[in-house]
Amino acid sequence: MTTVGVQILGASFYSTQHASAEDVVAGRLRTVTAPAFPLLVARARRFTSLATQLHMEVCGALPIDAAHPPLTVFATCHGEIQTAELLIADFRANAMVSSARFALSVHNSPSGLYSVATGSHAASTTITGGNALAAGWLEAAVTAIDAGHTVILSVADEPVPAVFEGPTQTAGMGAAFLLGPASHGGRRAELAITPGAHSAEIDTLHVLARAALLATSEGTGTVSLGHIQPGATLELRFT
Amino acid sequence: MTSGHAITGAALSNCLGTDSRTAFESAFAGTDAFSPSTAFSDFPFATSLGVMPMPTIADEDRLACTPTRLASVALASVRQLRPAVRGAVERWGAHRVAYIFASSTGGLEETERSLAPDPRIPISGTRYRYEDHAIDATTAAIAQMLGIGGVQLAISTACSSSFKALASATRLIDRGLADAVVVGSADSLCRTTVFGFHSLGLLAPTPTQPFSRDRCGITLGEGSAYVLIERSTEVTKRHALAWVAGVGAASDAFHHTSPHPEGIGGQLSMRQALDRAGLTPNQIDCVSAHGTGTKLNDAAEAVAVQRVFERQVPVTATKSLTGHTLGSAGLTSLVLAVESLRRQEITPTLRATHVDETVGVAVVVRRTPTRLENVMINAFGFGGSNASVVVSRLA
Repeated sequence: MTTVGVQILGASFYSTQHASAEDVVAGRLRTVTAPAFPLLVARARRFTSLATQLHMEVCGALPIDAAHPPLTVFATCHGEIQTAELLIADFRANAMVSSARFALSVHNSPSGLYSVATGSHAASTTITGGNALAAGWLEAAVTAIDAGHTVILSVADEPVPAVFEGPTQTAGMGAAFLLGPASHGGRRAELAITPGAHSAEIDTLHVLARAALLATSEGTGTVSLGHIQPGATLELRFT
Repeated sequence: MTSGHAITGAALSNCLGTDSRTAFESAFAGTDAFSPSTAFSDFPFATSLGVMPMPTIADEDRLACTPTRLASVALASVRQLRPAVRGAVERWGAHRVAYIFASSTGGLEETERSLAPDPRIPISGTRYRYEDHAIDATTAAIAQMLGIGGVQLAISTACSSSFKALASATRLIDRGLADAVVVGSADSLCRTTVFGFHSLGLLAPTPTQPFSRDRCGITLGEGSAYVLIERSTEVTKRHALAWVAGVGAASDAFHHTSPHPEGIGGQLSMRQALDRAGLTPNQIDCVSAHGTGTKLNDAAEAVAVQRVFERQVPVTATKSLTGHTLGSAGLTSLVLAVESLRRQEITPTLRATHVDETVGVAVVVRRTPTRLENVMINAFGFGGSNASVVVSRLA
């Protein structure tokens, strides 16, 4: 078993259908509420997808030292999937596409908008795909250790439009974690690559909620982040 | 240069050729491999494209995933890399060989084909599956074909994707999470990108002319590029083609699609790559530019190169040969740079006979034999995402 230690200096969570991470765990729903994402100024907010708004909301809620901007790792299973639907609709309608939509269709749109909004020149990357949650955590932790610097891990996904016949998750959700290397304070956690098949899809909403709750409490627990390599999962452990 | 990470395998496929040898010969010969856009689809505007001939796939080479255009493009390089990966698996064990895949559009072409059919493009023989849309649609199947079982990641940061993947790979090795990493990238042509870059006014109506005074935009291409990097040991040194000496990355923090006018992110990423390589700017013999051929991108990159190097370092722009392969662009240039180090010559920048003197960089317009020890390669993209890599010749 391989492990990577990491310090967690802050966490935030948002769900369009739940008022808090606690409500996700308790199963309490609310009226669907879009994020306010004040991080972006009016001009930058236009054409932003729900996925981008969720990233901005949770990143904006972290305790960032503006004088020492963190590196950023954005993670998303589906990327700008609602924008992709609109581009496909453009094709069906008139064989041309909106330039604004196209510009914001790339998976790293939230990353670019965040760096512009904060004026940060720090490096950023975007992890995607079915294991984006696990891979994003691993990438962020390793980056923090490698750089000896703080790293934002922002995970968010918007519902996949029905036309794609994909996952049916209806909540937009996001969580952000401010990670640091061992020399930083904060809450100690460990990522462990654990042998064992994990074929079932993880419930990202609940995993993010539990991770955010554990990161901001003194409780102990383990959260499975899903598969990271064939025959192994990545676990987030608070001991 | 013998530190860094050993590149023990490298392969590419694109409009220049579906195997590396053919592509290298075409690149160094300065072959113009672009096609009229009608070779791919009908568009209501003029442009040319770097269309990759789809290779014939033998039954034993078929991937255990939907045979999308992306899968075919990726597979053309993966097949070439298999012998090198086999060696790494023997050295380290399958579970110590990771796989990181990078792409900008992933399976978008498959989605277009199914959900917005074009009468010119055959409908896929298989039923549309959402999984085929994803950036990582081919990841498990390619890892299975290569017989590797380490950590798997997929990265998508537009046109810097493959260098972000390479950066991630070096970290996995440095932090003991892998001993070898297959870093792959692929992007296939799709109508969204052709229409999209046209909508932004960035698509060239005629073949791209990077750094030319007449440059008028991008020629889109498709292709894949793969490298195998390994922990530096006495054994891997014997297998190495070249070294990844240093990787740098930074953000422009300026605009989502337009570069910072002084290429600030590019400056930072090139300086970081130099720092990590332990090299000075004077030790770089050639810059393989991002060089998309747009007015703003080339001008900004030229400023960045001038600021970092403070001399007339030779600059080549491989997108004049391959077209812009988006998420695969960085690794495509890197594999060509590795071949440049081996041959000791620089690839030509096509159609740059009238170099824009205002950009002030020394563009290599013809195949140029020269002494090459270290090459800097740039990959910049939407979101102000910049990454630079220094590759170095074997000692």
